[in-house]
Amino acid sequence: MDPELINDCVHCGFCLPTCPTYVLWGEEMDSPRGRIHLMKQHVEGTPITPEMAGHFDACLGCMACVTACPSGVQYDRLIEQTRVEVEREHVREPAERAVRGVVFGLFPYPRRLRLLRPTMWLAERMAPFLDRVSPSLGAMARLAPRVERRQRLPRVVRARGERRAVVGMLTGCVQREFFPQVNAATARVLALEGCDVVIPPEQGCCGALSVHSGRGEQARRLALRTVRVFERAGVDTVVVNSAGCGSSMKEYGELLGHEPGFRVMDMSEFLAELGPVAKRHPLPLTVAYHDACHLAHAQGVRAQPRELLSAIPELELREIPESAVCCGSAGTYNLLQPGAARDLGDRKARAVGTTGAELLVSANPGCTMQIAAAMRRGGGQIRVAHTAEVLDASLRGVSL
Amino acid sequence: MSSLGSACGVTVRDAGEDDAVGGVPPRWVALPETVEEIAAVLRACAERDLAVVPAGGGTKLHWGLPPERCDVLLDLCCMNEVPEHAAGDLVVRAQAGVTMGTLAATLAAKGQELALDVPFADDSTVGGTLAAGLPGPRSFRYGTARDLLIGITVVLADGTVAHSGGKVVKNVAGYDLGKLFTGSYGTLGVIAEATFRLHPLPAERRWAVAELRRADVAPVAARLAAAQAEPSAVEVDWPDPAGPLRLAALVEGTAAGPRAEALRELIGAGSVTGERPSWWGLIERDDVLVEVRFPPSALEAVLDAVAATGGLALRGSAVSGRVLLEARRELAEDELTAALTRLRAAGRVNVLAAPHAGLDRWGQVSALPLMRRVKERFDPGRRMSPGRFVGGI
Amino acid sequence: MMNKLVAALRALLPDDSVITDPVRLRTYECDGLTYHRATPGVVVLPGTAEQVAQVVRLCAEHGVPFVARGSGTGLSGGALPREDGVLIVTSRMRAILEIDLADRRAVVEPGVTNLAITEAVRERGYYYAPDPSSQQVCSIGGNVAENSGGAHCLKYGFTVNHVEACEIVTPDGDLVTLDRMDPGYDLLGAFIGSEGTLGIATKITVRLSRAPEAVTTVLAAFESIEQGGLAVSAIIGAGIVPAAIEMMDALAIEAAEAAVACSYPEGAGAVLIVELDGPAAAVERQFDRLREICADAFELRVAAGEAERAAIWKGRKSAFAAVGRISPSYIVQDGVVPRTSLPAVLAAIDRLSAEHDIRVANVFHAGDGNLHPLVLFDDGEPGAGERAEVVSGAILDLCVEHGGSITGEHGVGVDKSRYMPKMFSADDLDTMQLVRCAFDPRGLANPGKVFPTPRLCGEVPGVRKGVHPLVESGEAEQF
Repeated sequence: MDPELINDCVHCGFCLPTCPTYVLWGEEMDSPRGRIHLMKQHVEGTPITPEMAGHFDACLGCMACVTACPSGVQYDRLIEQTRVEVEREHVREPAERAVRGVVFGLFPYPRRLRLLRPTMWLAERMAPFLDRVSPSLGAMARLAPRVERRQRLPRVVRARGERRAVVGMLTGCVQREFFPQVNAATARVLALEGCDVVIPPEQGCCGALSVHSGRGEQARRLALRTVRVFERAGVDTVVVNSAGCGSSMKEYGELLGHEPGFRVMDMSEFLAELGPVAKRHPLPLTVAYHDACHLAHAQGVRAQPRELLSAIPELELREIPESAVCCGSAGTYNLLQPGAARDLGDRKARAVGTTGAELLVSANPGCTMQIAAAMRRGGGQIRVAHTAEVLDASLRGVSL
Repeated sequence: MSSLGSACGVTVRDAGEDDAVGGVPPRWVALPETVEEIAAVLRACAERDLAVVPAGGGTKLHWGLPPERCDVLLDLCCMNEVPEHAAGDLVVRAQAGVTMGTLAATLAAKGQELALDVPFADDSTVGGTLAAGLPGPRSFRYGTARDLLIGITVVLADGTVAHSGGKVVKNVAGYDLGKLFTGSYGTLGVIAEATFRLHPLPAERRWAVAELRRADVAPVAARLAAAQAEPSAVEVDWPDPAGPLRLAALVEGTAAGPRAEALRELIGAGSVTGERPSWWGLIERDDVLVEVRFPPSALEAVLDAVAATGGLALRGSAVSGRVLLEARRELAEDELTAALTRLRAAGRVNVLAAPHAGLDRWGQVSALPLMRRVKERFDPGRRMSPGRFVGGI
Repeated sequence: MMNKLVAALRALLPDDSVITDPVRLRTYECDGLTYHRATPGVVVLPGTAEQVAQVVRLCAEHGVPFVARGSGTGLSGGALPREDGVLIVTSRMRAILEIDLADRRAVVEPGVTNLAITEAVRERGYYYAPDPSSQQVCSIGGNVAENSGGAHCLKYGFTVNHVEACEIVTPDGDLVTLDRMDPGYDLLGAFIGSEGTLGIATKITVRLSRAPEAVTTVLAAFESIEQGGLAVSAIIGAGIVPAAIEMMDALAIEAAEAAVACSYPEGAGAVLIVELDGPAAAVERQFDRLREICADAFELRVAAGEAERAAIWKGRKSAFAAVGRISPSYIVQDGVVPRTSLPAVLAAIDRLSAEHDIRVANVFHAGDGNLHPLVLFDDGEPGAGERAEVVSGAILDLCVEHGGSITGEHGVGVDKSRYMPKMFSADDLDTMQLVRCAFDPRGLANPGKVFPTPRLCGEVPGVRKGVHPLVESGEAEQF
């Protein structure tokens, strides 16, 4: 942990109200300010105690504090460094180790995930039993999505009409296996807006999950491979539709020590910059747009998805109260900290409920899954979609 | 000169009949001219265990309970200077004996005012106004005396001279003794000097005035309170509960005309005038004077309670939740007691003045034990206006 | 003593509400002022007023001091814990209990943030007027303790002018309601701003204000701070009472620019933010007048909508923390001078800065003469911290010399108690101490704050004779 970065914090506390765990528990050591204080204690010689590790683990990595910080504290870098340190120094309880082993042995590997697909129906039914064994396993089972039919994407999707750009597209791990329709929609929207979309089939995990969990070596290995794949594909822009992947890929320079040979852009960021050419068909819907942390806080992309959605005729966009606070999904957080994730999900579900919207849109399937599950728990129901799917429906003139 | 006078070197005369406080005649009247002289008198009184009642213009001396004892009336009429008016800073420092009328004239010469409306302004003094702490019509916008007071000099029972606050509006250094002494009826010590924040005299004043039926007052008041035309005050006058009420809403400053017109529309009746209503902020009879404070939404209940009594006239704010009731005729003690009971169902009732001894003047006060402890610390010998205030403090 | 108390606290509160782990305790060692640190003996996080009362009662029984803390954003060390004491944190008491628009009031728990109140009523056309710069995080309980102001207090006043009632826990552990409606001494007025030395507010009734019909926010850029100062005097002289008049000098602008990219006009020696609010007709005319007054400004920007207004305010509101971008360390000072003394005092600060080779960025509420000089230094440079301290202290001396105050809104806390004798005589301080003794005869509520060397209650002023029995028994401390 870099003491210089720690010293940037002036202890003003502006981060507190945006921190999900502070919002839940109201404790200093579960706020960014408190965690930085813990880091400082560690740098000054206090060993990592189980209590200390617990407070670092409880951080969702949502980066809302980075947005809120007027002093420019790089909490994102600090917590990543800290997680590495925790993994190195801290010996976890066996049960905890086992769960983490499953999560990190599984999610960064699309092929392993694919093997799980046929068991999904079983998972949901087994959730109550798994809860008793480990709340984390229960949560994992409960969140398991109903899988759409897989769609194999071609290596290149050609632009419709005049070609305005050539872009690479990341398909992601979870996105590819569990939400193939989002990738298909993204590719169609890009093509309809005049892009040749290059989708290298040999791409794998971008390394985001590993970065966020302090698994530095694994992260670097996966990142390097991703960089090589897209560099070989010869694109100068890689478009990403998953917020978590995008934010990590934008940090490749930091992780690898050199910038990749392409720029990384979120799909909404890229489309907003490109400007619309395709016709938007009306979608008479009330939509609540949820800011995925890794898009809004980590990448600072807030206005563009709202602009894109608002530009759809007859679509009414509604703001969700407390929009800066994380929904609790946070990558693998809902698997590793199921209690807190559940409380945050419930809180977010209530906020979404107050909008009265019919459709919940976000750039991250993890978020929408989490919120929809929480709404069902609360006896409510809301349809969910990725920004790409809404745009796709409007561009193609079909209903959602 | 009396022995007390020679002991403290301050002008002291023997008291006459007119000097009685609530029927309790003092033995001497001391006339200090400086803060140091006030301290000298109080030190001399402390040595002799004499009880002291400070007095300004004497306009409200019969309010509150009569003092348990009163040896010395501390007449502050000679403390009548305005040592500092920093017009550029909108701040004035005045001695306690300056009358509110004189102060207003001094300030008006520089186009400024102290935004308090006080009854009996020609005779009421700065010190008395603070000690009684009675809110006026414009408290809706500017707050009460405690909100405009930014610094105070007081003299305690043992002659200690203490300051708090200062001459800047924004100041959070130390405890705010000014708040504590405002409305303390002389029971904690003597207010010697006060510093206030001022406001520019508004270029224009307009009143939207109307005559309303009782049932219409509460909804109109609610609309006016929520108005964005920034009324400074909304007062009602109800001299006879059998008849209609007069309502007047004041607008001050830039664009007063159109803003008053907007209020008139909200009232739905009446007219706009540049002339202050004749009854505005006045107290006409205060042999019996009852203050009712209530949440604004309880206005209707208060009006109903007043109507049920018959013998009371009402005047006060329709939007701040504060009205004064005067007796329209001689009221027997049991009649008044019954009225108080009715009113207490609607709000907080304080009997400011009444000739009767048996009334429950203030009702239950949650913080009374704390108040007693404050009194004990400031005046352990119970020599400052003893027994005049809440709970016989 | 502490061990017995901790056992009693554990019996009283849920497990996760009593913190004794040393690593966790240390995260509470300071509030927004990091210069003073003390690890609390124990931290409790009560959930209800009754629990606060019970905790305080236990403290009273065991003769252990207690300190209340809200969000820990104070800038005078008012919530600095006691190593031998209990830190009572109200951050879990954050329910808005009642909103009553008919009576224009809200009843809230002390941990509710200042901004949360406004957010709860904004859509219905109301707001809570006091707006300290930390409003999105600071708690109402803390606002009550500090009598917080904010940029808009020029027109609307401070916390004390907007609080109708408080339920408090007295240092004896009694729940008492102080209500502006109640007759008797204005204990509410005395309590607000007493910095936690008279008890803990557990329920606060605040007044809600009607949102103004029109708001015009103007950013005026001047070549020099003197020109800006003249404009301020002229605005007040014209009889205009804006909702706020804020000024920032070049260095403060640089910091804000670095932090939030507020894009204030380039090359400005000072910017003035003037906000006019009220009835549309009035605001319009005042704005015309303002434009005439600011004729010397080389750029005058008028916010066209809510987004532009927020952009103008963003630079100002983040200025304190933003200074971290241009200096490794800094001291935020808070002093007040009569508005007409502003030019003289700013010039004197300039001289101090040059003399000690310490940069000073100025951010201030110009309308009410409330200065916030940010004294910048590099803590890596030997002697720089000391020089900054000297400059910072000298600025307070300047404020007192000009008839001002050593604090306009940050409070005295632990940081400025030593300056109190510059502003107040021993008699003044002893008299304030009478209030303290009435509420807290044993001196257990936030001891060591506000007053430099308080006498023990009951002690006769003058020469001290022998050791006080409470000191001897270890129940009180003499400084």
